[in-house]
Amino acid sequence: MAMKKKRYALVIDSRKCLNCKACVVACKAENKVPVGHFRNRINEERKGEYPTLSINFEPEQCHHCDEPSCVRVCPTGASWQRKDGIVLVNYDECIGCRYCMIACPYDARYFNEEEGVVDKCTFCVQRVDKGEVPACVETCPSKVRVFGDLEDPKSRIRELLATRRYKVKEPQTGNGPQLYYLL
Amino acid sequence: MGTIRMDRRLFLKTAGATAGAVAATQVGCFKYFKKGRSTAADAKEIPTTCELCPNKCSAIAVVEGGFIRKLNPNPENPKSRDMLCARGNAAVMQVYDPDRIKQPMIRVGARGEGKWKPVSWDEAFDYTAKKLAEIKQKYGPEGTLWSSTEGFQEKFFVNLGQAFGSPNIVRHPTLCLASVNLAYGTTFGTVPSFDMLNSKYVIMSGANRFESIITPDTMDLIGSVMERKAKLVYLDPRFTVTAAKADEWYPIKPGSDLAFILAMLNVIIAEKRYHKDFVDTYTLGFDQLAEHVKQYTPEWAEKETEIPAKDIIRIAREFADAGTRALYYSGRRSSWYENDFQMRRAQAILNTIVGNWDQMGGMVPNASLPKGEFLFMPWDDPKASRVDEVKTNFPLAAASDGVYLKLRENVLSGKPYPIKGWMVYKQDPMNALPDQGKTLKMIEDMDFIGVIDLQMSDMAWYADVVFPESAYLERTDPVEVMPGIWPAVVYRQQVVKPIHDTKPNLEIVQGLAKRLGLSDYFDYTIDQWVEAEFKDLPIPMAAEHMKKHGVWAATGEAHYGKTLTPDHRFVTKSGKIEIFSERLQENGYDPLPVYNQIAQPPADRFRLILGRVGYFTHANQSNNVWLHEFMPENDLWINPAPAARLGIKNGEYVNVASSVGSVRIKARVTEEIRPDCVFMLHGFGKKSKMQSLVYNVGASDAVILETAWDKVSGNAAFHGTFVKVSNA
Amino acid sequence: MHETNWGLLIVVYLFLGGLSAGLFFASGLANYLKVDDKPAYARVARMGALLAPWPVAIGSGLLILDLGNWYRFYKLFMHFRWESPMSIGSWLLTAFTVIAFLYLYSWLKEDERTWIFSKIPASWKLIHRLNVDISSWRETLGMIGFPFSIGVGIYTGVLLGAVSSRPFWNTNLVAQMFLFSALSSGAAALLLAMVLDKKNPIEKHETKFLVTLDVVFISLELFIILPYLIHGELSTQAVKQALDLILGGPFTFIFWGPFLFLGLLVPLAIEVYELFPAIFKGREFHGSRNLALTAASLVLIGGFLLRYIFVYAGQMSSFHSKMGLLQ
Ligand SMILES: Nc1nc2c(c(=O)[nH]1)N[C@H]1C(S)=C(S)[C@@H](COP(=O)(O)OP(=O)(O)OC[C@H]3O[C@@H](n4cnc5c(=O)[nH]c(N)nc54)[C@H](O)[C@@H]3O)O[C@H]1N2
Ligand SMILES: Nc1nc2c(c(=O)[nH]1)N[C@H]1C(S)=C(S)[C@@H](COP(=O)(O)OP(=O)(O)OC[C@H]3O[C@@H](n4cnc5c(=O)[nH]c(N)nc54)[C@H](O)[C@@H]3O)O[C@H]1N2
Ligand code: SF4
Ligand code: SF4
Ligand code: SF4
Ligand code: SF4
Ligand code: SF4
Ligand SMILES: [Mo]
Repeated sequence: MAMKKKRYALVIDSRKCLNCKACVVACKAENKVPVGHFRNRINEERKGEYPTLSINFEPEQCHHCDEPSCVRVCPTGASWQRKDGIVLVNYDECIGCRYCMIACPYDARYFNEEEGVVDKCTFCVQRVDKGEVPACVETCPSKVRVFGDLEDPKSRIRELLATRRYKVKEPQTGNGPQLYYLL
Repeated sequence: MGTIRMDRRLFLKTAGATAGAVAATQVGCFKYFKKGRSTAADAKEIPTTCELCPNKCSAIAVVEGGFIRKLNPNPENPKSRDMLCARGNAAVMQVYDPDRIKQPMIRVGARGEGKWKPVSWDEAFDYTAKKLAEIKQKYGPEGTLWSSTEGFQEKFFVNLGQAFGSPNIVRHPTLCLASVNLAYGTTFGTVPSFDMLNSKYVIMSGANRFESIITPDTMDLIGSVMERKAKLVYLDPRFTVTAAKADEWYPIKPGSDLAFILAMLNVIIAEKRYHKDFVDTYTLGFDQLAEHVKQYTPEWAEKETEIPAKDIIRIAREFADAGTRALYYSGRRSSWYENDFQMRRAQAILNTIVGNWDQMGGMVPNASLPKGEFLFMPWDDPKASRVDEVKTNFPLAAASDGVYLKLRENVLSGKPYPIKGWMVYKQDPMNALPDQGKTLKMIEDMDFIGVIDLQMSDMAWYADVVFPESAYLERTDPVEVMPGIWPAVVYRQQVVKPIHDTKPNLEIVQGLAKRLGLSDYFDYTIDQWVEAEFKDLPIPMAAEHMKKHGVWAATGEAHYGKTLTPDHRFVTKSGKIEIFSERLQENGYDPLPVYNQIAQPPADRFRLILGRVGYFTHANQSNNVWLHEFMPENDLWINPAPAARLGIKNGEYVNVASSVGSVRIKARVTEEIRPDCVFMLHGFGKKSKMQSLVYNVGASDAVILETAWDKVSGNAAFHGTFVKVSNA
Repeated sequence: MHETNWGLLIVVYLFLGGLSAGLFFASGLANYLKVDDKPAYARVARMGALLAPWPVAIGSGLLILDLGNWYRFYKLFMHFRWESPMSIGSWLLTAFTVIAFLYLYSWLKEDERTWIFSKIPASWKLIHRLNVDISSWRETLGMIGFPFSIGVGIYTGVLLGAVSSRPFWNTNLVAQMFLFSALSSGAAALLLAMVLDKKNPIEKHETKFLVTLDVVFISLELFIILPYLIHGELSTQAVKQALDLILGGPFTFIFWGPFLFLGLLVPLAIEVYELFPAIFKGREFHGSRNLALTAASLVLIGGFLLRYIFVYAGQMSSFHSKMGLLQ
């Protein structure tokens, strides 16, 4: 039987984000992200004057773009994309030129000085391939992120995208980002 | 809980998860494989219970090649709702922290100088036992003080203090939640949980639930509020994350929450919006209340709270209309003001009159689970009475926990009798108590100080002997029942062997007990203890289950209304919910909450207020590398208006001085705080050089906080300090 | 704001790559232009040929050093990825460097060659076999190298310009700007070298040739900067915001002062001032040594600053909405 086509993506409900950083630390532990670097982050926007104030938090990580510019510019093919859409770095092929970092519109990548290679969110492939959800998705107190397969019509992310309004970030980059932010 | 379960259903953990791990090739964890550590093939998953804060979330430790690789949340615990917070995740680094105390140490230099001699356990035990025996001989067993903060192994430490014969056991509640516990206890005879999952209208007085994480309240509330199932009204002088998520935020004038609540009572009663049936059937003293709150009009409250009267009226109406599904949330750290008990009492009363008691979406008395007990040899009650004289000063307070700040005053004055030995377990009084200068004085007056900790806390830094306890991931602890709407029982089992020469607290206690001639009282192993506790659990094959799952919870459905039968007796004097409390009256306190305005800062001062962020626990996570990177230094929040007046610039250092001390700290000029307050986070400006990331970085609030306490409960009043801020 | 992943080494690399391209181009042109069937600027051509390969060789070395894993640089040549400017560029640069070195070799005099090979142990027979006269290839190598030099000049710009995620870069004008800047830098470097070469004093017609070349390239560069700014201002919000980096943002001063004024306009003015009487008034070209030195140095500084500004400002620019990063 042929493998069904898959397209992994994240749906993010930023309003529920508490900026608690659990996802950041979980990722650190799961993926041995060096201190000082992050695969995911919480953007924040603070506005207003006392007492009319607002704070918005917004988790972000690699968007696992459909047309990833990081992959396009990589001179060695170290940056590559799986059939299920997950964009990865092959650490043995990476020469550490950092061109991909510059080419990523979402500042999703970091340079691992110790290893001399570039790294970023992998959607926790090591977990996903076992049928688990990524570490950041699992640990979140308010379950801000929902991970799933867009090709699966019964998936929860499909349901969310069908019933809720959403946006992607900076679609004009043409990268086809796959983090869907609920509005 | 719908959303949480959905994810799970989608990605059910495959049973033999470990088998597939080899497939993890180089991706994702290349470092791991490159360093030649074992492949994932020998990975083990061991359920345990997080210890990094009082919430006790269930975790599953992934161990590979003898290393704890990661902690995953355990979805089986309804209280932790399938999550681990940042701290829970960072517990891995608690174990591998290079700053950890790696073996027992005896002080060789002056106290606080930081000169240590690493010693064997025998030496540390012998030395400590000798010192304690000396003190006992000179001053009696009551000449020793045993202080600790909650934890699964705390009971062994407390037991040692008692077996030693000291009445002076002091625990953390009077730094934390003593006033709220006493207020709800006085009213209902028990302290209920709050059904945030089903509530429709929640009001919170500075319970910063989206940063100060309390399970499952934090997770339930964010879901309810963001999915528009509940409305959240939040009062806080600061614009916290909770404020940011709330439907309405009011920067209430500090210390005036009681006025707000009294005015709500006034409106609800005047407009007859209270739950008459409930009030008639289950409560006592409603008429006195109605009479009493007539004086507290919304217009009056507006002046006290700076919240517009029309908003108070509207909120009161909305609250009453939400009725049994409305909640005035109790809060946890109620160590605020000298009138804190009465403020919490007023909340309890407000909740009562809308009839939310034991209702879905209301306050629910905790359900519990039976658990076995290990029967050990009992000791005699101590002969002396407590040094903090709780019985006479705080007749209603929980004597067994003590009243910390009164205790410190008495120790410092040497009356009613001297205290010369201080044993500390899992607590950092140097930072947890206000006025560090006084704590230091108390330390100086001691003949002996022994501290049991994982890391060289500031308290440990000033000790004579430091006993390194094994981290929670390295030890097995007693079984804990967590009462609640969804009661659960959790188990903390050893995940890896201790990586340094450390011991679990029980073994430390036993080592000391042996040398103090108290061995008979501690004649058991942790395994025997735990086995005994497993016995009466309502679980088939309890031991096996707990070892395999780490948690057991009664199934999903909450049970409401068990106490709502006319013959139910509340554990109060009258057997009813006591709106009017005769007990309070008999003991010389106001039987109904009376408002007295608290002191306000003079024009050139600010009120210093406290609080938390989601990724630190109290004073003790700022040195964890995985958390430290979120905030390498603390700062002082100050509103731009006064900052401009004082010429204070964002990011520049300022001096903050109170009547008891002063600190130097960076200013954070921010709109997110009232102009009459300043705020700083706990856990920085450490004196201990073995907290290398935060040693002398930032400032400790304990240095400038003044000593005050709530009159009824003895709970510390931390928000009464006025400080002067000037450019450094 | 984005952190900068590419630093000074890359700036230097781009500058040196461009410089080599410009040197080769000027040399090739000098060799190509004939008067009475004889190269009119043979000495210019030779100087250019002798200098051309070195900057790019050094620059490539720097690039390799800048890699996270420098010893893996060979992997660049295990792949050809036509979508990746860096991949194409690596091949292009390598080919160009080889050609430039051959070209250099073709310009060596007999005695120079003999001297070089005398340094090589006699036992390395294979190497000594390379001691041949290829001066006849000059023309051909020059012709082959021409497009490569232009390619390299363009590439240093394309490397940045092709990055669609950086609004500051992402217009085809960047490649042209870099090309003309490279060519003018090459001409200026050549002028500088010849003026400084005391043994073979530069002749007036040579100065004039190089100055003319420079004026043309600087003017072209200017004519691209203008549309770059206008185009950007009329473009999307993100591009406009990106341009703010040089229109009020942190790079404003360095762009308008040291780069545009000192690095382009002043040398242009000097060179035009020098050329004007000769071209329009039919007077003799003076060729002031000091003015030539000044103008050439300023052009080189300008060329360097252009890369500096673009590398740094470009990385700061982003389509990303302005939410702050981790705090
Ligand atoms: N200024 C100020 N003071 C406060 C508060 C505040 O917000 N600001 N909050 C108050 C409140 S609510 C509370 S509950 C108290 C808390 O006061 P503490 O109980 O003193 O809190 P922590 O700072 O968590 O310190 C706990 C100590 O226990 C150690 N520890 C952690 N785990 C273990 C373990 O497994 N074994 C052993 N032996 N030690 C361990 C830590 O290293 C740390 O040194 O502070 C109160 N005091
Ligand atoms: N991440 C994290 N979570 C924790 C802890 C932790 O250390 N870290 N500790 C745990 C413990 S032991 C406790 S006790 C709880 C504490 O949790 P909470 O009970 O929520 O207490 P705090 O976080 O101290 O929040 C106090 C808030 O009250 C505000 N405030 C100050 N004065 C006033 C006032 O007069 N009126 C009003 N309305 N508000 C005021 C302060 O600005 C602050 O935001 O958190 C628990 N959860
Ligand atoms: S774990 Fe969830 S709530 Fe916490 S910061 Fe991450 S996304 Fe936000
Ligand atoms: S977000 Fe950046 S790193 Fe991730 S796939 Fe897209 S371009 Fe590549
Ligand atoms: S740094 Fe590595 S992954 Fe990125 S472009 Fe260069 S070779 Fe490719
Ligand atoms: S999916 Fe995995 S790698 Fe990506 S941010 Fe989340 S935890 Fe990190
Ligand atoms: S809330 Fe966080 S620190 Fe507290 S027990 Fe749960 S995971 Fe651990
Ligand atoms: Mo607490």
